[in-house]
Amino acid sequence: MKIFLNNKTNRTWFVLIIAMMLFNVWNVIVNTPMVPEQHWAQKIFYVHVPSAWVGFLSYFVVMVAGIMFFIKKDDHWDDVGLAAAELGTVFMALVLITGPIWATPIWGKPWIWEPRLTTTLILFLIYIGYFMMRSFGGHVERVKRYAAALGIIAFVDVPIIFVSVKFWTPEIQSHPQVEMAQQPSGILTSFLLSLGIFTLLYALMLTYKIHVIRIKNNVGSNV
Amino acid sequence: MFFILLKKELFVEFRSREVTLSMLVFGLSIILTFAFSSNVSPTIIANYAPGMFWIMVLFVAVIGVHRSFSYEKEFDAFSMLISAPIDRGFIFLSKWISGFIFLTIMEALIIIPFFKFLMIDFPSQPWIAIGTTMLINCAIMAIASLVSGIAMRARLSEVLLPVLLFPLVSPVIIAATKISGSIMAGDPFSFWQIWLLIVLTVIVIFGLVGYTLFDFIAEE
Amino acid sequence: MPAVLTVSNISKSFDRRPILKDISFTLHQGETIVLMGKNGVGKSTLLRILARIMACDGGQISFQNKDLLKGSPCDRHKLLYLGHAPAMYTTLSAKENIKLALTLRGMTVGLSEIQNQLNYFGIGTQSNDPISIYSQGMLQRLKLAYAELVNWNLLLIDEPFSGLDTDGVGLVETALHRWKEIGKSLILVLHNQSRAKEFGDRILYIQNGSIE
Repeated sequence: MKIFLNNKTNRTWFVLIIAMMLFNVWNVIVNTPMVPEQHWAQKIFYVHVPSAWVGFLSYFVVMVAGIMFFIKKDDHWDDVGLAAAELGTVFMALVLITGPIWATPIWGKPWIWEPRLTTTLILFLIYIGYFMMRSFGGHVERVKRYAAALGIIAFVDVPIIFVSVKFWTPEIQSHPQVEMAQQPSGILTSFLLSLGIFTLLYALMLTYKIHVIRIKNNVGSNV
Repeated sequence: MFFILLKKELFVEFRSREVTLSMLVFGLSIILTFAFSSNVSPTIIANYAPGMFWIMVLFVAVIGVHRSFSYEKEFDAFSMLISAPIDRGFIFLSKWISGFIFLTIMEALIIIPFFKFLMIDFPSQPWIAIGTTMLINCAIMAIASLVSGIAMRARLSEVLLPVLLFPLVSPVIIAATKISGSIMAGDPFSFWQIWLLIVLTVIVIFGLVGYTLFDFIAEE
Repeated sequence: MPAVLTVSNISKSFDRRPILKDISFTLHQGETIVLMGKNGVGKSTLLRILARIMACDGGQISFQNKDLLKGSPCDRHKLLYLGHAPAMYTTLSAKENIKLALTLRGMTVGLSEIQNQLNYFGIGTQSNDPISIYSQGMLQRLKLAYAELVNWNLLLIDEPFSGLDTDGVGLVETALHRWKEIGKSLILVLHNQSRAKEFGDRILYIQNGSIE
C-alpha cells in the first residue's frame, strides 16, 4: 500500500475517490427521497445495483484479459485477469449479500429466482471453481492458460444463462430499476452518481490489485 | 483430419469399451437410487422425471468425458495428437462428437430401464423426444469436452471438472428439463421453441469457442 | 550448411522456479546435438517445448525458417519427437498405434511395411498385442520402428538407450549411425559421456537453466 501511494497520481486518485465515496454514502442516507412502501430497505439499491454493474464489468475485464493473454502471450494480461477475477468475485459476493437484504421487505422472502440475481449466483459459482483451479490446479504457468480460457467461456456463457433463467421463471418481476424512468428525479441522479463513483472505485482497486500481484510475483520468483 | 481423429476415438473405445461401459453402469445405479429415494405417487414422479433424467445424463457425461480425457494421459498418448502437424481444434471436435455418440448410445440402452423402473409412460411423440434429446446431448457434450480439456492436466481434475461444469451447463439443463417436460405433457412446439433455440445457441457458441481455444489449452 | 532449427531465448519456469533461462542454440542440417546435464535440469522439458507439446514462457523457435510457436501446425511436419513415454494408446496394438500415428502425420504406409520394421526391431511376434503389456525395452524398440517409418528431417529423442538389452543397444546404434550418414538432423538427450562423444557433433551441457 505504501509503495502504491508513493506514486503521486495514485495518491491523488486514492484521496479523491475516498472523499467521493464518503460523499456518496452521506448523499444516499440523507438526500435521497424515501420510497413509500420500501422505507430504508430501498437505500441498499444504491449499493446493490452499482456492485452488480461493477462485478459484471470486472468479469468482462477477465474475458478481455484472457483473450489478450492468448494473443500477446504476455504475463501482464494474466495479472490483469487475476486481479479482475478477484475483484469481480468480491463485488458479486456483495450483490448476493445485499440482494436478500433488499428482497426480504419487498418480496417477503430473502431469495427469489430473479434472472439477474440467479445469473450472478451461477457466475459466482463458476468463479469459485476458477479460484479452485488457480490454487489447486498445479504449476502457475500452466494454470494461467486454463484460467484465461475459463474467464472467456464464463463470460460467453453469461447471456445464455441470463436468457434461460429469464424464461425459466417468467412470472418473477424484474428489479425495480427497469422502471427507472418513472422514478422521482432525486433517485435517478443519486443512483447514477453512485454508479459512477463505484466504477471509479473499481478502477482504483483494479490498479492497486494488479500492483500487489506484481509485487507478489516478483517476490515469488526471487526465492 | 477430423474423421481420422473421430475414427481413432471410436476405435479406441471399441477396443476398451471403458467410456460407454462406465457411463452405462453409473447411469443404471443412479436410476436405482432415484427409484429408491422417490417412492411416492406416480404423478409426482412423472412431473420430476425430466429433471431426474437430465441430472442422470449430466452425471454420466462427467464420468464419460473424464474417462475420455484421462486415457489420453496414459503412456503420454495425448502427445501423439498435439505434436502431430494437425489443427488442434479438430482434437476438440473429435472429443466432442465422440462424446456425443457415446452419450447417445448410453441413453439408448438406458431409456427403457429408466421408464420402466420409475413407472412412467412413454412420450406420445417418441421421434420428437429422440431428436431433441440428441440435440441436448450435443450441447452438454460441447461444454463438457471444453471444460474437460481445460481441467485434464490440472491437479484435482476429477473435482474441478464437475465444479466448473455444472454452473456452466445450467442453461442447457434448464432448457432440457423444459423441453422434455413439454414433450411428455404433449405441449405444442410454440411452447418450447425458445428452449430449443437456447440449446442450438449453446451448440454453435461452445463449438466455435472450443475449436478456437483448444489450440491454446492443449499444450502441457 | 543451412540452419534447421534456431532456438532463441527459450525460458520456462515451474511454479515460478526457472528451469530454463534464455536457452539459445542453432542446429545445422545434418548435425547432431547431444544435450547433457544432471537429472531435473530441463533436458526433457526443452525437447517437449521444441515438439510443441509443452508451452514455454518466452522465446522463439524457428524450424526450417518458419516460426514454430506462431506458425501453422503443418510447419512441424518434418519434426519428430520421441519422449520417455511412447505417446501411444495402451489399448491398441503396436501396428495399430503406428498406423494411427502415421495417418495423423498425413502418411499412408502399408501394414506389411510396418510389420517388417517391427520384425527388424525384434518385436514382430507381439505386433498384434496391446502395448500395455510391453516392457520398457519393447516400447523403446517400438518407438524406433516408428521413427524409421516417418519421413522426418529433425528427430528429437530422449534417452534412446534406456531400458534396452545388448541387442537393442546395437539396433539403436546402427539406426543413429545410419540417420547421421544420410544427413538427417538429430537432437539427443544422453547420459553416457562416451556415447555422447560418439554420436554428437556438438555437446551442449545444461546447467542452472542455461547452456554452459
